[in-house]
Amino acid sequence: MSASPQATSPLAGLATALPGLPGGAAWAEWRRSALERLLAAGFPTPRDEPWKYVNTRLLGRRDLAPAPPRPLPTDSLAAAPAPAALFPRFVFVDGRFNAALSHPLGSGELPLSRFGERLEASTPGSLALPLAGDPQDVDERIRTLNACLAADGPVIVVPAGSRIATHLHVVHLATGGGAYPRTQIIVGAGSALNVVETHLSLGDAEAFVAAATDIRLGESANLTHTSLQIHGARSVLFDDVAVSVAANARYQHRLAALGGQLGRVDLRVALEAPGARAELAGLIFADGGREQHVRTLVEHRAGRTQSDQLYRGVAAERGRGSYDGRVVVHPGAAKTESRQSSRNLLLGRDAAFESRPQLEINADDVKCSHGATTGTLDEQMLFYLLTRGLERDTAKALLTYAFVRDVLRRVQPASVERAAEQRVLGRLPAAELLKEFVA
Amino acid sequence: MSNIQQGDILLEVHGLTVEVQRRKILDGLDLVVRAGEVHAIMGPNGAGKSTLSQVLAGRPDYEVKAGTARYCGEDLLALPAEERARRGLFLGFQYPVEIPGVNNVYLLKAALNARRHHQGLPEVDAFEFLTMIRDKMKLMQMDESFLSRGVNEGFSGGEKKRNEILQMMVLEPTLAILDETDSGLDIDALKVVAHGVNSLRRADRAVVLVTHYQRLLDYIVPDQVHVLAHGKILKSGDRSLALELEKRGYDWVRAEGAAA
Repeated sequence: MSASPQATSPLAGLATALPGLPGGAAWAEWRRSALERLLAAGFPTPRDEPWKYVNTRLLGRRDLAPAPPRPLPTDSLAAAPAPAALFPRFVFVDGRFNAALSHPLGSGELPLSRFGERLEASTPGSLALPLAGDPQDVDERIRTLNACLAADGPVIVVPAGSRIATHLHVVHLATGGGAYPRTQIIVGAGSALNVVETHLSLGDAEAFVAAATDIRLGESANLTHTSLQIHGARSVLFDDVAVSVAANARYQHRLAALGGQLGRVDLRVALEAPGARAELAGLIFADGGREQHVRTLVEHRAGRTQSDQLYRGVAAERGRGSYDGRVVVHPGAAKTESRQSSRNLLLGRDAAFESRPQLEINADDVKCSHGATTGTLDEQMLFYLLTRGLERDTAKALLTYAFVRDVLRRVQPASVERAAEQRVLGRLPAAELLKEFVA
Repeated sequence: MSNIQQGDILLEVHGLTVEVQRRKILDGLDLVVRAGEVHAIMGPNGAGKSTLSQVLAGRPDYEVKAGTARYCGEDLLALPAEERARRGLFLGFQYPVEIPGVNNVYLLKAALNARRHHQGLPEVDAFEFLTMIRDKMKLMQMDESFLSRGVNEGFSGGEKKRNEILQMMVLEPTLAILDETDSGLDIDALKVVAHGVNSLRRADRAVVLVTHYQRLLDYIVPDQVHVLAHGKILKSGDRSLALELEKRGYDWVRAEGAAA
C-alpha cells in the first residue's frame, strides 16, 4: 500500500489548479472529488507492484501545476518527424491546442475534434469513453491525475465503414511545468485509421507530462498507433494508454521511447471478443542518466484472440530501463494465442535493464510463449565482423545499431521510422563510425 | 601488385597448443603453407579442425598455451582478428553468423575498404563496387534480393556458404581458410563454391580447405593433404592420401600416429 503523506506528495497543491478548466459545474465537482480520492490513494511508488522499477522519488520537488501559456521559440518542433506537408498535423503545447503550429492540411473531412470542446458540451457520465476508474486501483492513478487536470487533446471518432487514407499526426510539446493531454480515439466497425503521436519537450525544460489515451475499436476495425517519445534529459513523461478491441479488430502499437529524465509507458489492451488481435512492438532506450520503462497488460477476455509483443531494450551509460509485460488469459478464452519477446542490450557496466514477461493462464487449449534475454553484444557476431576487417569500435556500434534497427523497421510510415532512427543514432556510442552503413 | 612470389612461406605454424574452456584441443600442431598452394586439412569430427581455423583467424576466447604462428613473416598470434583480416587472411565460417539489421552490401563494402586502406589504396567507387558485386554474384548464382538483405539473415545453409565465398572473392585474400565450406551443400552448390575457390587460385595466394569429406577435393585439387587428429597433423601427403582416407577411414592414421 502506498501511504505517502499528503504534505510531501507530488500531488499536494494541485487543487488550486482546478478552477479555470473547461466544462461546467458538474465537471468541476467531478474533478474536485476525483482529486480528493487520488490524494487519499497517493502517487504510485516502487512499492506498488506495477511500478516496482520506476524511480518515482524523482518527482519529489517537481512542479506538477499545469503550465501557463508562454511564448515559444521558433524552432520548437524541429525534432518532430516528417515534413508537415505529408501529414495533417495537430499540435498541443502543454496539453492545449496550438492552432499556429498545426497544419490541418486536407483535413476538412477528418473526424477530429478537441477534448476541451467535448468537456464543454458534456457532463461526467455522458462521455462515450470514461476518463478514469477508481484511483484505489494503482493502474488508475495516472489516468485519474490526467482526468483531473486535462484541458484539451485530440478526439478522433471514425464512423463505421470508413477508411482514412492519410496518417494523422499529433504532436505534444512540453515547455516546462505540468501538461495533461487527453486523447480519445474511437474507430467504428470496419474502419481503419493510422495515428502518429510524437511527444517532445523543449531542450532543458523541467516538464511533467501525464498523458492519457482512451481507444475503442469496433468490430473488424484497424488502428495503427505509432508513438515517438523524445523528451529532454530533465523532463518526465507518463503515457497511459487503455485500449478495448472488439471482434476481429486489430490494434497495432509501435513505440520508440527514448527516455526523458524519467519515462514510462503504460499500455493496457483488452481483447474483448473472438478474433480480436493486438500487436505491440517497441524500442525502450535509456542512456545518460535517463530512465525509460514500459509496462503492458494484455487481457484475453474471449477465445480465439491473439496478442504479439516484441520489445527491444537498450540501456547505455547509467541508463535504466524496464519491460514489465503481463498477459492474462481469462477463463473460457480457449484457442488464445499469445507471444512475448523481450531482448535487451546493456552497454556499459552501470547500465541496467529489468525484463519481466509474465503469463497468467486460466483457460485450456491455448498457445502462449514468452522469452526474455538481457546481455551485452553477441560475441559471435562481433568476431564475425572483426574477421571481415572492421574496427572493434565500428563493429560494436554496428551491432548496436542493428539491434535497434530490428525493431525500428516495424515503425510505419517510413518518415517516422527515419526520424526515430536519426534520434537513436545521435545517441549511440561511436555513431559517427556508422556513416558507411546508414543509408 | 603484391611482392609475394610463388613458393614464399605464407603461414608457418609450429607446436601450436590451444585450449578451449580449459580443454586441450590442439596439441603441438605444425603446418607450413606456401604461396600458390592449396592445402586440405582433413580429420574426424572433434579433431580440432574448426579450432585451428578460428584460432588462426583470431578468436579471442581460444587460449594459445604454446607454439607460434607466423603469417607473411609477422607474428600472427600478436595481431587482433581485424588486423589479420586487413593483412589478407580470410576465414570462411563453418556456421556463418546471421546479423539482422546489418546490410550485406554495406558490410562487404566496409570490409573491402578496410583491406584497401591497409594496402594504401583509395576507397572503392560505389558504382564500380556494385558492378563488381553483381558480376561475382552471378558467378555464385546468387539472387539479386541478396543485395537488400541483412547479413546471412534468413539464408539457407547453402546460401550462407555461397555468401562466404562471395565475400572471399570480393576481398581477394592472400590466405583463405575455408572451414567446412562444403558441409551441407548439394552437388550443384558444391560445384558453384568450388568454381569460386578455383577462380581465386593464383601464384601469390594460398587456400586452406578444412573438410571432413574428400568430395570437395574432386573439384578443388589440393597440392597437399593433411590428417588432423588428436590435436596435431598426424600424416601429410598428396591428393592420393585423401582418396585413401575415403576408402579406409581415419582409424589407420590414428593407429599409425599412436605407434609412432
